[in-house]
Amino acid sequence: MATAAKKMIPEDFLKNVLQNGVGRYVCQLQRITFRFCKSHGGSRHMRDFIENHMLDFSQKHPGVVVYLQPRRNRPPSIVAEYLNGGREVLLMSGKEPGEICKWTEHLRTRSGIQIVKMINNIHTETPSTQGIWHPFMFRDTEWAVTKFPSKKASEVLKIGLTATDLVLEEQQGEPLIDSMNTCKIDDK
Amino acid sequence: MASSIVRTCMNIRANVVGVRGAALILNYVPRRNHNRYEMKYRREMYIRRLEVGPEKERRRSEWINWNYDCEIFAFGKRLSEDLSESVLRQAFVQSSYIEREKQKRKELGIDTDVMSFQLQDNGELAEKGSELLSSYIKVYLRNMYPYMFEEGVSSIHDYLVSEQMLSYIAKHIGCEDLVLSEDFPVKSSTLSQTFKAVVGAVLKDKGQERAECFVRDFVLPQLISKDINELWELINPMGLLSAVLALIGKGPPEPRLLWKSATNTIMSLYWVGIYSDKQLIGKSPGETVTIAEEMAAREALKKLMKTDDSRSPLILGRMADNLKLDYKRVNVSAEEVTRKHFSNEDRHNNTATS
Repeated sequence: MATAAKKMIPEDFLKNVLQNGVGRYVCQLQRITFRFCKSHGGSRHMRDFIENHMLDFSQKHPGVVVYLQPRRNRPPSIVAEYLNGGREVLLMSGKEPGEICKWTEHLRTRSGIQIVKMINNIHTETPSTQGIWHPFMFRDTEWAVTKFPSKKASEVLKIGLTATDLVLEEQQGEPLIDSMNTCKIDDK
Repeated sequence: MASSIVRTCMNIRANVVGVRGAALILNYVPRRNHNRYEMKYRREMYIRRLEVGPEKERRRSEWINWNYDCEIFAFGKRLSEDLSESVLRQAFVQSSYIEREKQKRKELGIDTDVMSFQLQDNGELAEKGSELLSSYIKVYLRNMYPYMFEEGVSSIHDYLVSEQMLSYIAKHIGCEDLVLSEDFPVKSSTLSQTFKAVVGAVLKDKGQERAECFVRDFVLPQLISKDINELWELINPMGLLSAVLALIGKGPPEPRLLWKSATNTIMSLYWVGIYSDKQLIGKSPGETVTIAEEMAAREALKKLMKTDDSRSPLILGRMADNLKLDYKRVNVSAEEVTRKHFSNEDRHNNTATS
C-alpha cells in the first residue's frame, strides 16, 4: 500500500464506550428504522422481513426502538442510530429476508464507533519479572557521589597473572601451580 | 467438439445462476454513456451548500420517526431496570421546560387554574439521586482503599460526580434525546442533573440497594485505567510522608541520590531514593534533584496508601453482588495527621530551647 493511502485510512486503538460490560451491558444501538416502499418490487424482501422477522427482533431486544418508515418508490434501507451519536445507513436492495436479519444483528452488536484499522499497544505474552531494563538497573549507587577523576575508578582491573608475571616467576623458580591457585578473578 | 463447447458454456451459465444475486448479474447492461452534466451539477450544489452554511441543528424529536412513549420504555429496558413509567418520565422533565409550557399556555389564553398542569420537574429526584450518588461513591472508595487518606477519596469522588463525567455517562445511556428542556443543544449541566434524577428514580422505585448497584455499574467503572493518585493534588508530599512515618513509628524519611546522568545538559536525570530506618521506601527519577525528591516522596506515599500501580483492580460487576461494605468507615485525614505531627514537633522544639 502506498504511504499516502496508508495515511488516509483512519486507525485507532480498541475502544470500549463507557467501560460497557464491566458493570452491566447496555446495547449501544438505540433506535433502528426500516425504510421501504409499500408497492415497489424492490422492497419485496424488506416487506417480507417486516412481516415475518421484525416483531421477533423487537420483542427480543426491548431496549432498541424500532421504527418503520414507508417511502414511495425508493430502495429499502436500514438506518441505525447509536448512543454515541453515530448513524449508520445500509442499503438493502436485493437482500433477502435472511440477509436482512443478519445485517440487523450486525448493527445491533456494534458499538457505533466508526470502523477503523486497529492498532495496538506494545504487548508481550511473557513480561519480564525483573521489570523493564533501564541504564541504572545494576549500577552501584556509590558512583552517584563519586568525584571524577577518581583514583579508584582509574585503577586497572586485575584479572589474573599476566605473561610477564609468569615469566618472572619462572625465572625466580617459584612453584607455578601455587601462584595459579592463589590468583582470583576480581569482579569489581 | 461443438457439443462439448456448448456443454461447457451451459456449465458456466449454470454456475453463474447458482451464485446468489445472479439475477442482478444477468440483467446487468453496461452503460455506454456518461452524464456530462453530473459533475457540473454536483459542483454547483457544493458551492450552494458553502454559501448557505451547514444544516441547522434540530432536536431528534422533530423528525418523523419519533415516539416519546416508545423511547421512554426502551430507556428503562436498556438499563435493565424495571422502572415505572411515571417516575421515569418525571426524571427527564427540566423546570425550564415547565415554565416554557406554562408561558405558552398563557399566550394561547388558556387559564392554568382551570386546566391544571400535571407535569412535575426532576429537581426533587435529582437531589435525592445526588445524595445517594455522593454517599455511596465515598463509602465504596473508603472500603476499596482503606489506607488512602480522606482527601484522596474525596478528590476521586469529585472527579466522578463532576458535571463533565455525569453528562458523559448520561449521553452514553441515551438521555440526550429524551430530556425535556428549553436549552438546545442540551447543556452538560442539564444532562448531569438528568443523570442524577435517573439515579433518584431508581432509588424511589426500586429501593436503595438497587440504586447503589446502578451507581456501581455505571459511575464507578469510569475509574478503570485512570491514575487515581493523580486526581489528588498534594502540595507538600514530603511533609505528609514524615508525619505518616512518625505516626506508624518509623524513622524520619532520608532522601538519597541514587544515580545521576547528563547533569550539565538540559536532559539531566536524577534518581532519588527515600530511606526510612535504612530501608528503601520509594524512588523516582526527575529533571532536578528537588523534583526527583518530591516524586520519590509521592511514590513512597503511594506505597503506604496501598494505591501503587500494582494494586488489585476494583471489585465491580457480578463480583460485587455480595460485597459487604462498612458504611460508617471513615479514613484517616491527611490534614489531621500533619497538623498533629507538626504541632508536637513545635512543642518539642520549644521545650528544648527553653
